[in-house]
Amino acid sequence: MKKKLVTNNPLVKEKFDNKLKVEFYDIDYLKILEKVRDMIHTGNKLLSHPLSGSVKPNETPYKTVIISENKGHLDIDSLMIIEQSISTTTRFMKDEMTPDWNERIREDFQTIDLSLIENVLRNMI
Amino acid sequence: MRLELGNILIKDVQFGEKTKVDNGILFVNKEEIISLVREDDNFISVEVELARPGESIRITPVKDVIEPRVKVEGPGGIFPGFMSKVDTVGSGRTHVLKGAAVVTTGKVVGFQEGIIDMTGPGADYTPFSQLNNVVLVCEPKDGLKQHDHERALRMAGLKVAVYLGEAGRNVTPNEVNVYESLPLLKSIEKYPNLPKVAYVQMLQSQGLLHDTYVYGVDAKQTLSTLINPTDIMDGAIISGNCVSACDKNTTYHHLNNPIVHDLFEKHGKEINFVGMIITNENVYLADKERSSNWAANLAEYIGVDGVVISQEGFGNPDTDLIMNCVKIEKKGIKTVIVTDEYAGRDGASQSLADADPLADAVVTGGNANEVIELPPMDKIIGYTEPVNSIAGGFDGSLRENGSIVVELQAITGATNELGFNKLSAKGF
Repeated sequence: MKKKLVTNNPLVKEKFDNKLKVEFYDIDYLKILEKVRDMIHTGNKLLSHPLSGSVKPNETPYKTVIISENKGHLDIDSLMIIEQSISTTTRFMKDEMTPDWNERIREDFQTIDLSLIENVLRNMI
Repeated sequence: MRLELGNILIKDVQFGEKTKVDNGILFVNKEEIISLVREDDNFISVEVELARPGESIRITPVKDVIEPRVKVEGPGGIFPGFMSKVDTVGSGRTHVLKGAAVVTTGKVVGFQEGIIDMTGPGADYTPFSQLNNVVLVCEPKDGLKQHDHERALRMAGLKVAVYLGEAGRNVTPNEVNVYESLPLLKSIEKYPNLPKVAYVQMLQSQGLLHDTYVYGVDAKQTLSTLINPTDIMDGAIISGNCVSACDKNTTYHHLNNPIVHDLFEKHGKEINFVGMIITNENVYLADKERSSNWAANLAEYIGVDGVVISQEGFGNPDTDLIMNCVKIEKKGIKTVIVTDEYAGRDGASQSLADADPLADAVVTGGNANEVIELPPMDKIIGYTEPVNSIAGGFDGSLRENGSIVVELQAITGATNELGFNKLSAKGF
C-alpha cells in the first residue's frame, strides 16, 4: 500500500521529502488531525495512530500521521480512531492550550515526533 | 523455575568510605559512583545526592528509578542483555536492597518531566518518596544528541544499581520469599480445579523516550511472546521510557511488578497462575493488529480461563489495550484491564481514547489530570526550570516561592498502570 505523510513537523518534511509523499501544512496539532479526518472521509486509510507517543496533545505542537495514498471506500475503523483522537485532543486543550515554546523545546518535540515515525518507516523505504 | 528473593531491608542511606550494608544502613562511596558514571565520556560532570523519606527534598526531572539487586546463585546476572550476558535469569537466588533505589535525573529534552517529593502532599502520590534514594545528576557534554543522552543516562542508572546491589551479596537477608512456576502442563495438573490465569503485560515501544528493552532487545522489534514471570525479578525488562511520568513503568516497577507478585500470592489458592505474555505498543496500526493477534493466540494456546492485561502510557496504547482485551475476550477468555485515566481536571470526560463493551472489568490507577499544589522544598536535586514545560505543568506552574501547581501526570508513578500506587476508584 502506498503511503503518504501528513505533517506540520518541518524536520519530518526535511527528512522524508525525497523519499515519500509528504504533505506539509503550517497548521496546529488539532488542525492536522482534522485534515487527516477529512482525508479519511474521502477514502484514505489511517496507517499510524494519530495519538502516537505519550507526549500529550496539548504539550507537543507537532504531529505526523501516516495514511494510505490510495483512496478506497470509507474505512470506518480509521474514522473511529481519528474521531476519538480529535475528541481526546480537544479535551486536553479545553483545560490548557499548548504553550508557546522556545526554539530549543520546539526542536525537541520535532525530534520526538520524527523518532516515532522514523521507527515505522525505517523498514519500508 | 524457582527463584528465592532475599530482601535486605534498608532503613537509611549514608555516604561512607566503603560501599556496604551494615545493620540496615546502606553506606555509599560517592567517589566510586562518580568514577563509574564518568567512564562514559558523554558526561562532563556527575553529582551524587542522597534523598531519604521525610526530607524536604524535591527530585526533578526524574528519568528512571532502579532497585539494586544482585544474583547470588543460579544462572545469569541482573539486567541480562545490558549489564550481564543473555543467559536466562529467574532461577536460583537474588538479593534485593529493599528500601533503596538509584534515581537518575537529567534534561534529555527541554520538556523532560517527573517529580519525586520526599515529603509533603506530593510524597503521598509517588511510592519512591518512601525509599532511600541515591540520586545521580549527570551533566552531558555539549551537543550530545537526545538519543545518545537517553542511552547514556539509562546505562548510568543500571551500572550504579548493579554496583550498589553487589553490597548485598554476602549479607543475610531479613526475609526470603520464594516464587516458583512449573512447566505449563505440570502446573495445570497440579491445580486442576483452579481457574488458569495468565498476565499480559503491554510494553511501551514507540521510539525516542518511549522504549522498553527485554533481555537487551528493543521491544518495538519483538513479537508477542511468553516470558517466565520470575525473569523480570532479575531485570529481564528495563525501562527506556521517560515520557508521561505518572504512568510510565520505571525499571523499579518492572522489577517489582505488583500484578506478578499478587498473582503469585493467589497461586495455588484462588487461581493457577500459569504464565506471562509480553506484547508491545507500536505506533503503526498494522503492528498493533499483529501484536494483539499474537497475544490473543498465545492466551488461547496456553488454554487460560482468564487474563489480567496492563497498559503503559497515554493515548494510542489505549487502542492496543482495547484490541488485546477484545480479541482475548472473543477467544472465550475473561479479561481484566489495568489502566489509568485522563478524564479532564473535573474528572467528567471520557477517560480513555478507545473503548469497547467487552472491556467490562477495569482497574484504574487514577485520573492523571487532577491538579495538585506542591509546596516549596528546602532542597532541589536536579532542575526545576522544566516544571513550566512538563506534561501536566503549564506556564506559571512554578511560582516565585518555589511551589508548583501541576496535574498528577507530572509526578513519577502517580497513576501507575500496574497498580503500584495508591489511587484507584471503586464502583458500587
